[in-house]
Amino acid sequence: MKVRRPVASALAVAGYIVMIVPIMFVVATAFTGGETLRFPPEGVSLRWFEAALSYEPFIGALVSSLQLAVLATVLALLVGVPVTLAIYRGRIPGKGLVEGLFLSPLIVPELVVGLALYQQLMIGLKLDNFETLLIGHTVLMLPYAVRVTGASLALADPALEEAARGLGASPLRTFFTITLPLLRPGIFSAGLLSFVTSFNNVPLSLLLQSRDFRTLPVTMLDYVQQSYDPMVAAMATLILAATIVIAVIAERTVGFAKIFGGINR
Amino acid sequence: MKSRTAALLLLPGLVLLVAGFLVPSFVMLFSPPGIAPAEIFVRFGEMLTDPYDLRIIGRTVGIALIVTAICISLGFPIAYLLARSTSRWSGVLLALAIFPLLLSNVVRTFGWLVVLGSNGAIGQALVGLGIVDKAPQLLYTELAIVLGLTQLFLPLAIISCYSAVAQVDPGLDDAARGLGATRTRTFWTVVIPLSLPGIVVAATLVFAGSVTAYTTPYLLGGSGQRMLSTQLFSYSSVTIDWASASATALIMTILVFLVSGLSSLVARRGATS
Repeated sequence: MKVRRPVASALAVAGYIVMIVPIMFVVATAFTGGETLRFPPEGVSLRWFEAALSYEPFIGALVSSLQLAVLATVLALLVGVPVTLAIYRGRIPGKGLVEGLFLSPLIVPELVVGLALYQQLMIGLKLDNFETLLIGHTVLMLPYAVRVTGASLALADPALEEAARGLGASPLRTFFTITLPLLRPGIFSAGLLSFVTSFNNVPLSLLLQSRDFRTLPVTMLDYVQQSYDPMVAAMATLILAATIVIAVIAERTVGFAKIFGGINR
Repeated sequence: MKSRTAALLLLPGLVLLVAGFLVPSFVMLFSPPGIAPAEIFVRFGEMLTDPYDLRIIGRTVGIALIVTAICISLGFPIAYLLARSTSRWSGVLLALAIFPLLLSNVVRTFGWLVVLGSNGAIGQALVGLGIVDKAPQLLYTELAIVLGLTQLFLPLAIISCYSAVAQVDPGLDDAARGLGATRTRTFWTVVIPLSLPGIVVAATLVFAGSVTAYTTPYLLGGSGQRMLSTQLFSYSSVTIDWASASATALIMTILVFLVSGLSSLVARRGATS
């Protein structure tokens, strides 16, 4: 890129510095041999990775977070994809209103939803915290399922489905041999977004934690509050590495920009 | 598809949405257990006059506005350069801008502790260079929150602006230049107005995100720089003051609805003019 626009280029460089540099510092301090979060790091060692991977609260929370994210994603897709089909292919009254309703969890602040579920479901209905978390995360992922798979369904030609029906295929067969394959990229994007969002979620999970079931981000936040050592940097670096793997898979399969394009529309 | 089939497909989602989101949120905002609805509105009114609460509301709105302004002024140039560039690096740079959206807020925000902390990079560099004797207090300030939120929401601003700029035909730039407009004038009279809807979406997302974000003000603002989100958590889990928690939640929700309503109004205005 030739620098012909000095002001725009300077602003762009500043933007990238703010986005990327703090993350590089996390990685750099994770490899420190010293006792504290200090920069420059003192020596190079893997001791904090070892510490993070043998710290039971982190590992327990990691397993909990993975369980929750996978279940919430599967549930959101199982419930959300039929909703998408009804909105985009069915004749229902107030289509716009129904779609708006399913997108509404994106607008209400998550912390507010978290408090609501804590009060009404955990205290009021006495659900346990895992059940409440699962309901909360699934509701929060529904907009992705509806919007992102909706975007790929809107692009698919309904004539293909009509042709299948015209040739005598049952509605179920049409769905599995025509509609579902057309939807696959959308479902994959929605699933990936849901998984990542659920796995990283803090505001919704914050009030719904319990001694037995806590998610990883919330556990890490608590840890930072108590002690200021590089173990969290090591854990953060491991999450970063896993996220890069997910990003590469996303780029290879559907394309990065496309996945995020879906919710933005 | 028959309407009965459509209704059946819709049903599980509707049940989940109503029972797991709409009803709980509504009840919590207006009548949490053990509390008369009037109490919330009394507390709501108090918050709008009490200096302590007003400072938190003011800080939240102020920080959100500043972050929005910064994200647009950094994000739009990035989006513009990426959309107009023909370099093969632009794909990498776009991926680098979107990638943080996949990354945990905890990881992203944690980096600022390493950069801004008293033993952090900036403090140590200033001391090392002999500029100051003692590392300045950068953490737990409003500046730290602004930096953290900017890092968090810049990617969102970039993709919203990017999809808007990408839709503006580069031929229009050339036409304006051909008619004698300078580069700067072309940018302000052609590119900016045509991508305004994307800018409005970006601003709305960043503002709403900044008002409701929890991790960043918690880690970088501490208890000294409370925002509505950290205050809401403290009301609902430390002091267990549900009237105040609901009133705070109501203020947060109203702020978010206000700005998204306003932005869709602006967008509609822009579309018709």
